[in-house]
Formats: sequence, C-alpha cells, structure tokens
Amino acid sequence: MSRRLLWFLLVIIVAVTLAVVIVPAWVIQPFRPQSPRGLEVSFALKRVAPFVTIVALLACLALVVKLWRGARWSRVFLVIILLPPAVSAWFARQNHFEWMFNPLANAGYALADAATFVADTDLVMAVARNGEAVAYPIRQLAYHHLVPDTVGRVPIVVTY
Amino acid sequence: MWETTIDGRTLHFHLAGINNQNFIMRDEETGSWWQQVTGEAILGPLKGRRLTRVPQDEISFALWKREQPMGRVLRPDPRAAAAGRYAPADWETGIAKLPVATQIRDRRLDLRELVVGVTVNGRAKAYRMTDVQQQNPIIDTVGGVPLVIVAAADGRSVRAFSRVVDGKPADFFARPEATLLVDSATGSEWEFAGRAVGGPLTGRQLAKIELLRDYWFDWRAYHPDTAVYSVGLARQRS
Repeated sequence: MSRRLLWFLLVIIVAVTLAVVIVPAWVIQPFRPQSPRGLEVSFALKRVAPFVTIVALLACLALVVKLWRGARWSRVFLVIILLPPAVSAWFARQNHFEWMFNPLANAGYALADAATFVADTDLVMAVARNGEAVAYPIRQLAYHHLVPDTVGRVPIVVTY
Repeated sequence: MWETTIDGRTLHFHLAGINNQNFIMRDEETGSWWQQVTGEAILGPLKGRRLTRVPQDEISFALWKREQPMGRVLRPDPRAAAAGRYAPADWETGIAKLPVATQIRDRRLDLRELVVGVTVNGRAKAYRMTDVQQQNPIIDTVGGVPLVIVAAADGRSVRAFSRVVDGKPADFFARPEATLLVDSATGSEWEFAGRAVGGPLTGRQLAKIELLRDYWFDWRAYHPDTAVYSVGLARQRS
C-alpha cells in the first residue's frame, strides 16, 4: 500500500473516532434545543462509541507502526496523531454529565428534627409510602438530579 | 419520581444527558434512555415503556416537618457542599435569568413563569403561581373533575385536591389567618393536608390530585395541549 494511502486512512480514522464522541456531546448540550432525530443519532453513536473508538485506536496504532519506518520529520506528527484517538477511546467510556452533576454516592439521611442543614423556608420534595416519609431538599436535588432510594420497601428514583 | 422496578426487575439509573432542559437518565441494566419528566423510555431496548409514578409533594420544609415529624431528610453530600455545588437559598431568582433553549413558541405565559400544573383524565392545565397566591383557593374543573388549588400560608407550598365530598362538588374559601379552607356547604374547616379538622365533616379526607411545580416552557413542552387558567372567569370548564 502506498504511504499516501496509509496517511489518508489514518486521517479518516481519526476524523471518524473524533466525530463519534463529539457529535453526541455537541447535540446534548444543556442550553441548546434537541430534536428527536438528534437524540436518536446521539444514542446510537454513544452505544457504539466504546467499541468503535477502541478499534479506531488499534487501527491508528497499526497504521502509525507501518508508517514509522519510512518517516523522518513526520515521526513527531505520527506520535501526535495518536492523541485524538486515545482521548476519544477514553472519553467514550466517561459519563461527562456525572462530572457536571456528581451522583450522590452513599446517600445519608437525618431525622426531621435533626436536619439542621435545611432551612424552614427551603422547598423539599416529599414522598410517603407504606408509613415511611422522606424529604429531599430541592437545593440538593437541583444539583444531583437523581437520587435512588427505597421508601416503604419500594425502590424508587427521585428526580428533579 | 419513579418506581424503578419494571417487569419484576429493579433498574439502576444514571444521569445520561438532557433533552430540551429536561434531563435524560439511562438504566445500567439495558442502557435505555428515559425522559425524567415522563418516566418513559425514549430510546433503547425498553423504548416505549413507562415507569410507575410515585406521588410527590413539593412543599416547604417547615410544613413537611409538621406533617411528618418522624420522617427522614436527605443529607447533603459533604464534598459537593464544600465545593459550593449546591444552589444558594435564593436560587430561583438566579435561574429565572438563565436563557431558555427551547422550541416552544407558545407565549401565553413567559417561558420562565412559574406555574403549577395538573393532569386529570388526560387534560392538562397550568396555573400561574402568582394567580394561585392571589386567588387562593382556586376553584376549577379539569378533565371533568372539580378541584381546588390551595396555597399554604408560606405562599410557596401548593396542593390540589378533588372538591368532591359525598359525591357532590363542594365550594371552598380560605380563612386568611391560617392555612384553612372552609367549605361553603357545611362550614367545616379543612387543613392543608386535605383533612377536615373542624365542623360536621371532621375526619374526612379530600382526594389529593398530583400537581407539578414547573416553568411554563417545560410544562408546555410535555403537555402540548395544556390549558391555562385565566383569572377573572367565574367558573371554567376544561
């Protein structure tokens, strides 16, 4: 295979692996509107991303190895061009929404009269089931967005 | 708020994204994406399935403590609190200034107007928070069900109840000095939890109707056929 073709393949694969992670992250931005089609595409890309990005990274590695021997000045570039597929392969496995809004690990609870961390005027989301009552302060829900719990022996997820 | 057991399997959810400012969650078990406000899976193996809604109440902490003195309260995460991730007490004023990225063009109300919304028998209706506070209680009928929207003395906690007592729709007015409703037929007094605490109907409980506190643009996005309450019309049917 000609070196030209190998370089061309390398560039195409890098472009694809970047697109696979960038498109969903771009579409699903907090202050932009989303369309149903945009979500469908993002969902599909996110599902395949972990696999596709790893394959792309390995393909790029193979291509870089093949191009290495004949190269001189461009060896620097060959190393640099491995960064985007590596970052993509890593990013495809991250949940960047959980960076923005940390999940509440090991949620703890206090009894009503011991809950000094909530002001009387604060709003809470209240649930009561089978004799058990729980309050989730809105100020915390507004950040974590999602708190799993079991109330009255029923597993639920509190969402905001 | 949703029950997480479906088809006998308990799902575990993570934040996955956002859809027109209403977030999306993903279950670990199937990878399906669910819309937070509707509890419906919009993409993935469980597409079209709906989680069972858990009735919720958005009220002030003071009111909740009075009603549920033995309840438990979610603690803040110390790291998130230390990092200043939690909103300040006046966060609602801050949010009101944020841009709204939405395709909703319905300007019956300001996009960030705070409303309380009910859905009864498939009919949706939104009430401006300011109307609820001024008119308290609001007597209305939605989806053929006579209801009353009542605000507590704190001006922020709002509940909706069916007005039907003994098979007939009752009429209510408010006692200004306390969060008490009085029904015009018997003069019984009803507390904010919907229970009669004085008068001939003592002990009766009004049926609670679920109500959502939301911004107009979000309510309208998920209830496209929603009606909007107008102050000044004596009786409305919708």
